[in-house]
Amino acid sequence: MLPRRELRPGFWLVFWREIDWLRRRPFLLAFVTIVPLALMALLTAIFSAGLATRLPIAVLDLDSSDLSRSIIRMVDATPDTAVAVRAGELAEGRGMILSGKVHGLLMLPQNLERDVFAGRRPEVVFFYNTQTLTTGNLTLRGINAAVPTAAMGIRLSLRTAQGQPIEEAQAAISPIPVQVHALFNPTLNYVHFLLAALLPSLLQIVIVTASAYSVGLDFETRHRLRILRRLGGGLWPAMAGKLLPYTVIFLLVLGVSDAVLFGILELPLHGRGWLLDIAGFLFVLSCQLLGALLALFLTPTATAVSIATLLTSPAFGFMGIGFPRLGMNAFSLGFGSLLPGTWYLTARIDQTIRGTPLDLSWRPILVLLAFVVGLAGLVALRLERIRANATRDASGTPKAVLSEVVS
Amino acid sequence: MTGLLAVFRGEFQRIFALRPVFSVLVVGSVFYAVFYPQPYLNEALRNVPIAIVDGDGTATSRELARRVDATTDVAVTMVLPDIVSAERQVHARRIFGILVIPMNFERDLLHGRASPIALYADASYFLVYQRVSGGVVAVARTLGAEVETVRLMGIGVDPALAAAASDPMQLTAVPLFNPQGGYATYVLPGAFVLLLQQIMLMGVGLLGTLPGADPGINAREGLRPGPLATVAGKMLAYLLFEAFILPLYLIALPYLYGLPRLGGVVPILILAVPFVLSVSGLGLVVAAIFKNPLRVQLVLATIGLPFFFLSGFAWPTEVIPDAVHVVSLLVPSTSAINGFTRLAQLGAPLADVRSEFLMLWGLAIFYGGVVWILEFRKRRRDGRIERIVVA
Repeated sequence: MLPRRELRPGFWLVFWREIDWLRRRPFLLAFVTIVPLALMALLTAIFSAGLATRLPIAVLDLDSSDLSRSIIRMVDATPDTAVAVRAGELAEGRGMILSGKVHGLLMLPQNLERDVFAGRRPEVVFFYNTQTLTTGNLTLRGINAAVPTAAMGIRLSLRTAQGQPIEEAQAAISPIPVQVHALFNPTLNYVHFLLAALLPSLLQIVIVTASAYSVGLDFETRHRLRILRRLGGGLWPAMAGKLLPYTVIFLLVLGVSDAVLFGILELPLHGRGWLLDIAGFLFVLSCQLLGALLALFLTPTATAVSIATLLTSPAFGFMGIGFPRLGMNAFSLGFGSLLPGTWYLTARIDQTIRGTPLDLSWRPILVLLAFVVGLAGLVALRLERIRANATRDASGTPKAVLSEVVS
Repeated sequence: MTGLLAVFRGEFQRIFALRPVFSVLVVGSVFYAVFYPQPYLNEALRNVPIAIVDGDGTATSRELARRVDATTDVAVTMVLPDIVSAERQVHARRIFGILVIPMNFERDLLHGRASPIALYADASYFLVYQRVSGGVVAVARTLGAEVETVRLMGIGVDPALAAAASDPMQLTAVPLFNPQGGYATYVLPGAFVLLLQQIMLMGVGLLGTLPGADPGINAREGLRPGPLATVAGKMLAYLLFEAFILPLYLIALPYLYGLPRLGGVVPILILAVPFVLSVSGLGLVVAAIFKNPLRVQLVLATIGLPFFFLSGFAWPTEVIPDAVHVVSLLVPSTSAINGFTRLAQLGAPLADVRSEFLMLWGLAIFYGGVVWILEFRKRRRDGRIERIVVA
């Protein structure tokens, strides 16, 4: 299968051999292409709505007055909530929350209308399920928009009843209105917030584990290592030839997911595309080198893949998207800052929705660059060690090598 | 029956005898229990730094700034001359919000006019946005109500009535089950169920692909347990093992991390039985599909993240497309995360998780059936090979 003219040992020989390998190993090929793309498609499908609207809540109307009916209409009319059911009593509403049918219960007390106009300040109570925080907060936002609007109308009429001119009453009703602007994501779109971060996170898992796996296959035994070294005409070109085909593949996968995000899901690109490309390239390389490093230090390959899984599969929480790094403890901050994904996501958020000025954009990209240089250095040191050991045919324990590399 | 017992005993011993399996099921369980919750342990964002651009510079505007700073939500860490310089600080991620108090803020208030303020909150991280906007809006509303009450009293309205007129209908929002709105309280109960599933899938997948996946064979007497005995024996072995790990994850860990639990232990354990059986079955199916321990590991490593978002826990099921939701029910965690959090965190009675309970039993029977058929075919195939060898 190899192109005949390329049979001289060197980088290209290993490069083409790796591509040939991929052709003959459908699992590995699928794992670096179809698997991430399919899982990305699944995540995209989950979040395709972008905004969570018309979340079902229950209403317990003990008043049945014009006022209570108009409140219910308003609650139903906000984009966030929909009045799905009328509860007959409090216990029934509670049951509906427990069974997951509704996310909240709005209780309008008896004599609501009468007490409001008598100035007795009756209480409208909204019980909502914050066990699911996102959903709970969204339903509360709906109620918070609807009920005060209803109250506003009452306040107006109370004032005009006191003889205040309507214009003056209107101005006085809300003395300090706050105009809230959501910077960088004005519609609070979950696609641009969460999905755009989830896709690279998924890719990070795939790149690190797949690299540990593919490098491990060649470096696991001394015999295979010798073959690889001969083919590459040295360990360095061999390693480069081994990694580069995957770099191309992963960049293509990242390209496809970005094409969908930017092209179909309208993720804005307020910053610079070329910076994003540089960051993406450095991200893929550092993930690959991380995987390769694990494979060089940990044998058998199964152990390397296990550790790669252990480090990357729970990584999303440490990258500070759902719960920002701002609020994390020292350990999580430290571990998060060792993940390429943390910095890549920072650079992505900078260049996509934030449109960060150029001079403030470099930090995450320089950190990624430092990762690439540092990890490549460690890989090189380790390869030198392996080579020295192989030529001397001495047996250096991995632990001794590790301490040398670190010191 | 002896076959079933032999498989059961053999498989249970393999969990501890095979190093990779032991690492995943025992060491992995302990590691994730400590490692995974770390980012969330502070529960909430506090004192998110924001800047104030005070164009007014009066006693009232400073009072507003002081009150905003006094909340636990935000902290005023910078006072900046204009929006442009403040925006730069936002881009540098040094502050996450800008509160702009325009010129004549105090004068307009004193003249009885509406005196708006503007808040620019960083919405590239939603939790930050919620904190900043929630904190500032609440302060402005309270201060506004005070101003309005004073004004009403000024025009001769009775004080009690004045208070009523500024807030005639109080809205009390009662957060249930997670009253502080803590992030760990929100995310960990679901995450623990998902971790249990992923660790178990990995362990069972390895057990099914590593050498000796056919326990209970008695070579001396030439006995081989039947397909049903093999499947049932293995599943019971996993059930016995999870009888130790699952209570650790669903009862001990939530307690140690201080997560509120309203439900009793018994309903949790009742739901746990079909959960463990369905995950065991799925793990054996995964093993049969990928046939190689490394492949099992690789595939399972990537699949946990999407599984979490399928469960309707982080993103409401109502807005997940129906087709995706229906397919997602094939994964035990979709029903299990829902069922366990409602039983434990919400204190729902078992009857309220009936559909999840039945779904998990259905999955257990379905995956168990698939594995049974696979075992059955394996025996026929092996039998054929034996005949060929004999002939």
